[in-house]
Amino acid sequence: MKNQNKNTEVWVGVEHLEQDPIFLESINREFNDTPALLQADGLKLGASRRDFLKYLGFSVGAATIASCDIPVKKALPYVVKPDEIVPGVATYYASSYVKGGDYCAVLVKTREGRPIKIEGNAMSSLTQGGTSARVQAAVLSLYDTNRYQSPMKNDGGKWSKMSWEDLDKEIGGKLAAGSVKVITNTILSPTAKKALGEFLAKYPGSSVVTYDAVSSSAQLQANENCFGKKAIPNYMFDKASMIVSFGADFLGTWISPVEYARQYAVTRRIEEASKASMSRHIQVESSMTLTGSNADHRVLVRPSEMGAAVATLYNAIASKTGEATVSAPKVNEKAAAALAKVADQLIANKGKSLVVCGTNNIGEQTLVNGINNMLDSWGNTMTFANASLQRQGVDSEIQGLIREMNAGSVGSVIVWGANPAFDLPNSDKFAEAFAKVKTKVSFNGTPDETTALCDYIAPTHHWLESWGDAEPKEGIYSLIQPTIAPIFKTRQAEESLLRWAGSQNINPSAEQPYYEYLNANWQSTMFTSQNSFATFEAFWDNALHDGIFEKPVAAFPEFGWNGDVNAAAAKVTKPGSGEIEISFFETVNVGAGQYADNPWLQEMPDPITRCVWGNYLQIPIEFDGNKSFDGVGKFAGLNNKEGYKEADQIEITVAGKKQLVTCVRQFGQKKDTVGLALGYGRKVSGAAGRNIGVNVYPWMSIDADGNTQYFATVDTVSGYIATTEYASVQYHHTMGVTGKAKGYEGEVNVDEIALMRVGKGFQGSLVERSVINRTNLNELPTFLKELEEKRAEFEHLNQQTLYPYDQFVAEKYSQGHHWGMHIDLNSCTGCGACQVACLAENNVPVVGKFEVYRHHEMTWLRIDRYFFGDYENPNVVYQPMMCQHCDNAPCENVCPVSATNHSSEGLNQMAYNRCIGTRYCANNCPYKVRRFNWMDYTTADLFPVNEHGPEPFVPYDGEVPFYADNLTRMVLNPDVTVRVRGVMEKCSFCVQRIQEGKLTAKKEGRALRDGDVKSACMTACPTGAIVFGDTNNEESEIAKRYKNELNYIVLEEINVRPSVQYTTRVTNRDEALLS
Amino acid sequence: MSAAVSRIREPLIQGHKNYHQITEDLIGPTEKAPNRMWIIAFTISVITLGYGLFALCWTFWFGIGAWNANRTIGWAYDITNFVWWIGIGHAGTLISAILLLFRQRWRTGVNRAAEAMTIFAVMCAGLFPATHTGRPWFDFFMFPYPNTRGPLWVNFNSPLLWDLFAISTYFTVSLLFWYTGLVPDLATVRDRAKGVRKKMYAFMSMGWTGKAKHWQRHEYLSLILAGISTPLVLSVHTIVSFDFATSVIPGWHTTIFPPYFVAGAIFSGFAMVQTLMVITRKCFGLEGYITTNHIESMNKVILVTGTMVGSAYLIELFISWYSGYIYEQFAFYNRVLGPYYWSYIGMMGCNLIAPQVFWSKKIRKNVWWTFFISIFVNIGMWFERFVIIATTLARDFLPSSWSYYWPSWVEIGIYLGTFGLFFTLYLVFARVAPVVATAEVKAILKQYGDQYLGPNAQPHHHHHHDETEDVEHDGHHH
Repeated sequence: MKNQNKNTEVWVGVEHLEQDPIFLESINREFNDTPALLQADGLKLGASRRDFLKYLGFSVGAATIASCDIPVKKALPYVVKPDEIVPGVATYYASSYVKGGDYCAVLVKTREGRPIKIEGNAMSSLTQGGTSARVQAAVLSLYDTNRYQSPMKNDGGKWSKMSWEDLDKEIGGKLAAGSVKVITNTILSPTAKKALGEFLAKYPGSSVVTYDAVSSSAQLQANENCFGKKAIPNYMFDKASMIVSFGADFLGTWISPVEYARQYAVTRRIEEASKASMSRHIQVESSMTLTGSNADHRVLVRPSEMGAAVATLYNAIASKTGEATVSAPKVNEKAAAALAKVADQLIANKGKSLVVCGTNNIGEQTLVNGINNMLDSWGNTMTFANASLQRQGVDSEIQGLIREMNAGSVGSVIVWGANPAFDLPNSDKFAEAFAKVKTKVSFNGTPDETTALCDYIAPTHHWLESWGDAEPKEGIYSLIQPTIAPIFKTRQAEESLLRWAGSQNINPSAEQPYYEYLNANWQSTMFTSQNSFATFEAFWDNALHDGIFEKPVAAFPEFGWNGDVNAAAAKVTKPGSGEIEISFFETVNVGAGQYADNPWLQEMPDPITRCVWGNYLQIPIEFDGNKSFDGVGKFAGLNNKEGYKEADQIEITVAGKKQLVTCVRQFGQKKDTVGLALGYGRKVSGAAGRNIGVNVYPWMSIDADGNTQYFATVDTVSGYIATTEYASVQYHHTMGVTGKAKGYEGEVNVDEIALMRVGKGFQGSLVERSVINRTNLNELPTFLKELEEKRAEFEHLNQQTLYPYDQFVAEKYSQGHHWGMHIDLNSCTGCGACQVACLAENNVPVVGKFEVYRHHEMTWLRIDRYFFGDYENPNVVYQPMMCQHCDNAPCENVCPVSATNHSSEGLNQMAYNRCIGTRYCANNCPYKVRRFNWMDYTTADLFPVNEHGPEPFVPYDGEVPFYADNLTRMVLNPDVTVRVRGVMEKCSFCVQRIQEGKLTAKKEGRALRDGDVKSACMTACPTGAIVFGDTNNEESEIAKRYKNELNYIVLEEINVRPSVQYTTRVTNRDEALLS
Repeated sequence: MSAAVSRIREPLIQGHKNYHQITEDLIGPTEKAPNRMWIIAFTISVITLGYGLFALCWTFWFGIGAWNANRTIGWAYDITNFVWWIGIGHAGTLISAILLLFRQRWRTGVNRAAEAMTIFAVMCAGLFPATHTGRPWFDFFMFPYPNTRGPLWVNFNSPLLWDLFAISTYFTVSLLFWYTGLVPDLATVRDRAKGVRKKMYAFMSMGWTGKAKHWQRHEYLSLILAGISTPLVLSVHTIVSFDFATSVIPGWHTTIFPPYFVAGAIFSGFAMVQTLMVITRKCFGLEGYITTNHIESMNKVILVTGTMVGSAYLIELFISWYSGYIYEQFAFYNRVLGPYYWSYIGMMGCNLIAPQVFWSKKIRKNVWWTFFISIFVNIGMWFERFVIIATTLARDFLPSSWSYYWPSWVEIGIYLGTFGLFFTLYLVFARVAPVVATAEVKAILKQYGDQYLGPNAQPHHHHHHDETEDVEHDGHHH
């Protein structure tokens, strides 16, 4: 697939293809039969001078005309058109996104038989139409050029392709030689588990070893101990008014973030300011996570103090509710004081509280269960009805396997989806032991560290090519259906297992053997558990259409509390004494490393650090009281030139292993700690993930229960080693963080002081910007009055005009549609799903690390992140920012060629063909949302030599650039122009979707209804923070949202009349809590 | 004749020149083989030009991404250099047109070179807007010509379009003016030349014979062009300033820009004229024609315009504070104290402070001081444009989009290349045409030659000498 529009074989007509002898004869003859006309005259070879001139003239003319014609690639029409494919019309199929324990119910948009976009499935009670960045990016991995294209065999380090028949023959014999271990991450599929069961039964002594790289192992074990139920509870954040999280990043990465984010947003949204109520969210952590950044308060503890913090809260609640306390280590005083007050508020909200914990320590998880038990959370904000199955791995199992492999008692190993040679703390030990196994088979579809060590690769389909099912929560099932025929010679892992098991339940000669198996399984299990459908066909068609099947909720199972809190307290991690501790966390983009080879996710800025393509050591900073922020202690002097696009590199040693890391200065980082994301530093992967960032897994440890610990003590910190490119999309951090500064009284805006190189800044340069409006819940009434006054003043300013412009606008958009958007800053968690959805929908190119470093990123929608409040422990507001579609747009009047102009429906539109690229529009855009094609990122330019593939897909290594590859280009949305270098682009409000909606309405002979048109960012959002629609339609959701009293317009006073409104960000802080 | 001029006034032509001597001095360089200095200078210029062309081709090939301009700072080196060169291109026309109308006779010594400089500077300037676009092969979209794209027309609201008209008009008029002045001198060269050179100059001098009618038309045309050019001197930079003043970006959106830009343009134009004149008069031995009086006069203009520009800087600061508008206040705080503070210091130091030494007459008349200050001003005016363009864009409304910029080798290469272009053209010009307007100098000889003025006046001797020996084409009816 590396050929760029090259026909390797050329044929002329059907006769040629069929090797017709007459035709073959004719092509060997240089001249055809002489035409009759010439024959009559006899063939005159001589030509006069005049003839020569005539021919010359004709041929020059003909050549000129011919050369004016660009070669046309003709598309072949269908001879018999498949029913479900209408050229130019998208078809949606319900399916499920499953990768390990990550789950989302989705609709797959296909065009002409190829999936191009993933949308949420609103019928799922679990995700309710929400998605995540990972889900949005999943479609690109289907067209990953690094996918294995057929089975392969390892011949002494050299990989050779083989056929499935040969593979089955070879493997069949080898598997029989001994016990077989199947290493997997969490498997959600009941049918896959059934297939695995058949396979294991065939080979005695075999078993499945399940682990998760970012594990909930301890929680599963604790729940089994406490309740006899080895599952994750079904959390109901929407029912909680007091949420405490001990390091669980439930909005970003923890277990089921799409579901939790939606629930959480319910408690945070303010629809009517007069009836405002909000949950209060307290996050206990050391490094700022996505969840922590959304919290009202963060209680800072060192990673090793987390257990002590849990115990402190347990004891505080226990002593206040008359329960027995436990003896446990002490947390730092500041945190202890805060937790004592948190305990009061939790008790006050008994039955409406929820405490979650992300640590991987059985004792701590048991204590958290105890806390929830004391607070009556069970049955109110969490339950085991519909318990979550999204994490099933128990860490000790894989450790046990390593011992078994070393002992030589394992005959063969099959790796299915997992990558233990990379993502175990002792992956080196795993690799050593793995080498001792005779037969090692990998089902993985793309290169990874573990597959590289295997003997055979039996690549499974991409999930978009697969049949399957999933049970993310008990009783909630969903189906996976293929949306494209397998692109390569891959075979679904389940089918391979069943074939190798010699299963009687599968027909290997069938066209889709696993489909039949799945179908049969559903008939025997799901169908019989319901009574809405009388026939299986009707049931199956319906389930496949909806993509989901949810069993009626079973009666609430009673679990007796059987936890031993004293034993648990003894297991709690003892706070470390090391000078600096480091925590390892999962980011929303690359996860535990399984998403590292997806360029969309690599280029999606981390919500907190705003860096791309790599993991950066988050170092704590403090204000020197005088002029500037600086790293604390050993990190002093580092990264002071971030604003000049420079990052510093240092070496740190953890667990005796030294690595070079790049720093980023991080607000909200606890002083004696640092943080570094896991999942980076893949050595064997697709090009996008290879050698990007630092692998931190070897720095992790395993506790006495065999559970992986995601923190460590830093042994040594070197000083400055080198300077590197700081690939970050946002340098300036804050919208005013406050603190104490020398020469000033009281709390002042310290960041403003640090803003200037010479002298000091001035008060008001950041906070008074009409970019972010924010307030606290208890100050809401005063704030509303201020907001009203401020907006009235802006309106007054905007009315001062020489021209009756208002009237013009009012009349111009009073009829027809006027498109607008509303973004609720309280619902927005900053997860980035919208950003990736925008890339996928609008063919926005990936530009690579170097180009982002140069601020050449192309994202149409970005999520600005601003810190505010106390600089040592600030709050965060996320602001999705895209073209504001100003009705008085400053970009439009400055374009000399009218390439950007206004539609009658209020859209600020780009005519790419007209754009000559003066960039004046981008300069004059107050929101800086316009993006210029600095280079030929999309390979759409005339000259193939200047194609600029994103690093590491540089065009010079002999490979074709990323977007030049025909396979990758299959992901492009045919409704959206691929822009050429030298033109400006920006958010179009998904004008292609508007057009599609209008056409559909027209064909159906009706008016456009609200909800007919939804922008890609709106459909991607898990919390419903973004609403798009026709503001002229009074009945529309957007019209209702526009009436929110908390709304404001960014930079309203400059009178550009944007079509996007934001709600004020409201926090629910209680200053007494942390004082 | 000399009676019309104050005896105190210093002579504009020194060295007891007669008409013939003037012809020899000024036409001579076009007739001799170039000296070693010229050859070295020309070689360096052509190499620099070549490097610039290479950088430009690099840009065309790989795209504007070869530059370090970015999503926040869309214009940086390109437009900075454009405005800088266009500013330099202001002195020539001012000297030719406005000083002609004001009957400032001292202009004759410097106007030719200054006009040539204008034209070359405008050519250098025009290069930037033409090549800074993403798709320069579509630049013709900017011209309002009847086309086959239906009702699609250019956007007359756009300051960039005004720019296009302003600059092309200015270039055309300046070129015509310059050439009009050249015609009598080219005829003089023609009359002294032989062979191919004679034919070439005959062609270029358009059949000039020095008839009274020719002179009459020549003078009329000069006056008309002067009349057209005068508003252009003011309008071009006014319109260039609209590129910024009509935007919404704080630091650009400023009503003071038009006068301030015009003053700055004259300031930088005169500085560049000084730089060049000081070198030219030395190289061609023209101390008698480009005297310290000329230098002093121009230094006075530099002092005045420099102070005007400096005042504008201070007024801007005041207004930003007085506006009470935080974005405006921040923009100026950031200019002075932000990450680009060094460019602000460069601007203030070179533009406002450095020229203040010209309050001293001694320094005004000192060639070395003049040369150094003119270089300072050239640098300072570059900084001014950089401050306005890059610094302003770097930190505007949304802190999330703030950025920092420094040029790539390609941008520096193109800038150097324009120096190559400028000096290549200037050096060719200095070899091909008289660098001092010979006919015009001759026209003022009897009023402003040192032998007719001041303590050196020896009218009879020289007058006689002049009439007998030098009647070629200088038949003046004044």
